[in-house]
Amino acid sequence: MDFDFSDEQYKFQETTRGLLDKNYDLDRLRKLLVGDGLDRELWDRLAENGTFSLLVPEEHGGMGLGFVDLSLVLEEYGRALVPAPVGETLTATDAIVRFGTDEQKQRLLPLIAEGKLKIVPAIAEAEAGYDPTDIAVTAVPSGNGWSISGRKVLVPHAATADFIMLAARFSEDGPLGLALIEPDRAGVSLREHSTLDPSSRFHELDLDSVAVVRDDIVGGEPTDASVTRLLDAGGVIAATMMTGISGKVLDTSVEYAKQRTQFGKQIGSFQAIKHRCADMAVAIDASRSAAYYAAWALAEEAPDRARAVSMAKSYCGDTSRFVCNEGVQIHGGMGFTWELGLHFYLRRAKVLEYSYGDAAYHRERVLAETIDELGIGMN
Amino acid sequence: MDFTYSAKDAAFRDELRAWLAANLPAGWGETVFGPEDEDENAMFRLDWEGKLYAGGWNGIAWPVKYGGRGASLVEQAIFAEEMARARAPEGLNIIGRNLVATTLLHHGSEEQRQRYLPKIISGEEVWCQGFSEPNAGSDLASIRCRAVREGDHFVINGQKIWTSFAQYAQWCILLARTDTDLPKHQGISFLLVDMSTPGISIRPLRQISGESEFNETFFDNVKVPVANLVGDLNGGWKIAMTTLAYERGPEDALGRQIHFKQELDALIETAATLKRGKGTAIDDPTVRQKLAKSVVEIEVMRLNCLRAFSKALKGKPRGPEASMNKLYWSHVTQNMYETALEALGPLAPLDGGDPLSPGEGRFQLSFLRSKAFTIYSGSSEIQRNIIAERVLGLPK
Repeated sequence: MDFDFSDEQYKFQETTRGLLDKNYDLDRLRKLLVGDGLDRELWDRLAENGTFSLLVPEEHGGMGLGFVDLSLVLEEYGRALVPAPVGETLTATDAIVRFGTDEQKQRLLPLIAEGKLKIVPAIAEAEAGYDPTDIAVTAVPSGNGWSISGRKVLVPHAATADFIMLAARFSEDGPLGLALIEPDRAGVSLREHSTLDPSSRFHELDLDSVAVVRDDIVGGEPTDASVTRLLDAGGVIAATMMTGISGKVLDTSVEYAKQRTQFGKQIGSFQAIKHRCADMAVAIDASRSAAYYAAWALAEEAPDRARAVSMAKSYCGDTSRFVCNEGVQIHGGMGFTWELGLHFYLRRAKVLEYSYGDAAYHRERVLAETIDELGIGMN
Repeated sequence: MDFTYSAKDAAFRDELRAWLAANLPAGWGETVFGPEDEDENAMFRLDWEGKLYAGGWNGIAWPVKYGGRGASLVEQAIFAEEMARARAPEGLNIIGRNLVATTLLHHGSEEQRQRYLPKIISGEEVWCQGFSEPNAGSDLASIRCRAVREGDHFVINGQKIWTSFAQYAQWCILLARTDTDLPKHQGISFLLVDMSTPGISIRPLRQISGESEFNETFFDNVKVPVANLVGDLNGGWKIAMTTLAYERGPEDALGRQIHFKQELDALIETAATLKRGKGTAIDDPTVRQKLAKSVVEIEVMRLNCLRAFSKALKGKPRGPEASMNKLYWSHVTQNMYETALEALGPLAPLDGGDPLSPGEGRFQLSFLRSKAFTIYSGSSEIQRNIIAERVLGLPK
């Protein structure tokens, strides 16, 4: 029984923080608000640091590690507001590692490990809720393969990605599955959304009879499990990044409260401020418990994976909402300015909060799992 | 990170589980419960404490030298889990076992340990805690209860309040002012007081729940031998802080977590069977959201404790993080009991005295009891100050 990280894992967190402190900040983020929004230099540095090889098995040129090893690093990515498609590519990597055919693994994983592929999941639909059974984009049999039509929304960095990992239903009443398509494949058109978080670059994806063959489908055959796993992995990554954001907002707020004086005193000496900060610290620490455990459950395919993931996504989401709001309040008028940049944390946390299922959706899932476990209503 | 248990730990769990099955009455926690009368219940819990001792299961964390098992933190976690899983009653001598023993192990003399520890672990001597006073609650260091040295005795005069179990206790750990000229934190001493000494009187306080677990305790020229001083004269404040750190620590919280988890499971089961309109209470989406929130929060309480244990296992020091733990669990459990009443809906006001009360009134009683959580062993306001100043480094 050991619910802590190893020295190596803490060390990896430390190097990652150092690397990000040196190479990425809000000024750089602001510069990327124009153009295609992709920070290629940062991407390469993260690749050098091992980010994309971590989940790739050794036989395919990776480190063969898992989500627990990634956990503290993801928190740092959240903290630094590392843009998409870093978390997205990791989410997709896990799907390929777990469900890909041998051919797909041999073809894709070595490139992923080197940081040469950016892959973004396309899940959300304008008329769907968060439940995977809501997915309406359907692949219909056509020739040797399938033809997919429909619309996806909020696909991050779709324009600069190498592949889009598309969640679709294969035949009406058939299973869900994941298809890898290039953004420029015939029948695919993109439109960039206007969103709350300008550093996140989301796109609408229109699919007009897009041809998909067996080799494009992760695992060769569609399986519901591949989609559920993708959603769970994406949820844990989002939860962990939100926790990183919360930690950063608390640190910034505490720092500000030590420097800012009013009524001749540091505002951090007032209990109205102190107590907010203490509550933020407690919620963040609890978020870490939830996020780290979910990473373990995901890595180990634990029997309570679904519940652990949903606990983390709901708890960390509620926490980041609370912490970001309080952070702005503690900064007073400065917190409301574009210039200070605190809003970038609030914005990123907000888009993560509504990705891969919001808190209410995941709470319902937690309760359903709990009722199931207690054996209630099994008459 | 590893959530599996070693073979040794698993064997410890099996041994304890078997012992509990053999020693708890048949149907315990399902159809058979402890006595309802408060005094009878206290004596029942004292008797259980004796059974635990006879079975070698009391004070397991204590060093072997003093009758314990020297249990590891993992074993302590397993113990808390299994006791709660079996819904085993808690021994009466909680203060003696958890607070007095820990304090004596850290700060007591060898003579004091030899004298007091064996009778704590056997349950022969029950302890109470004389810290708070009517005018010294959150500002504990402002206590006024005096201890004046006269020859080889201290003479104690003053009043204590919230002394849980004083009516059953043979001994009391007492904070008293031994120097009025020194700054307030520096004039306090930590004393061990025999409750049968002439001059001590107690008056039960009726609580919000209608129960009388705690008391006011009065000291009128009570003579305490100088040998009963723990640590240095006027050095009592630091010792009291050790006591409080254990009162707020993960060992304490883990045992509670499992109790709360059981209450929550019972609540979900009650909500699933409680008729409401055309369905049951659990069909209400608002109730579902709130129940789920509590499921998450109570499970996170367990994870918080396991993280704290894991840090301690690696020898990382026990710091003000205990305040974070306490602040967290006290509020999430209060929320849980609010949710409980909401789930009961129109029948929420019916308490245990009414035959229609869902769950025989347990949720109403627990709801009332939960009001104490954010007040005792350091109110939430005090915990927040500690976290802000000592963890976050905000100015005083």
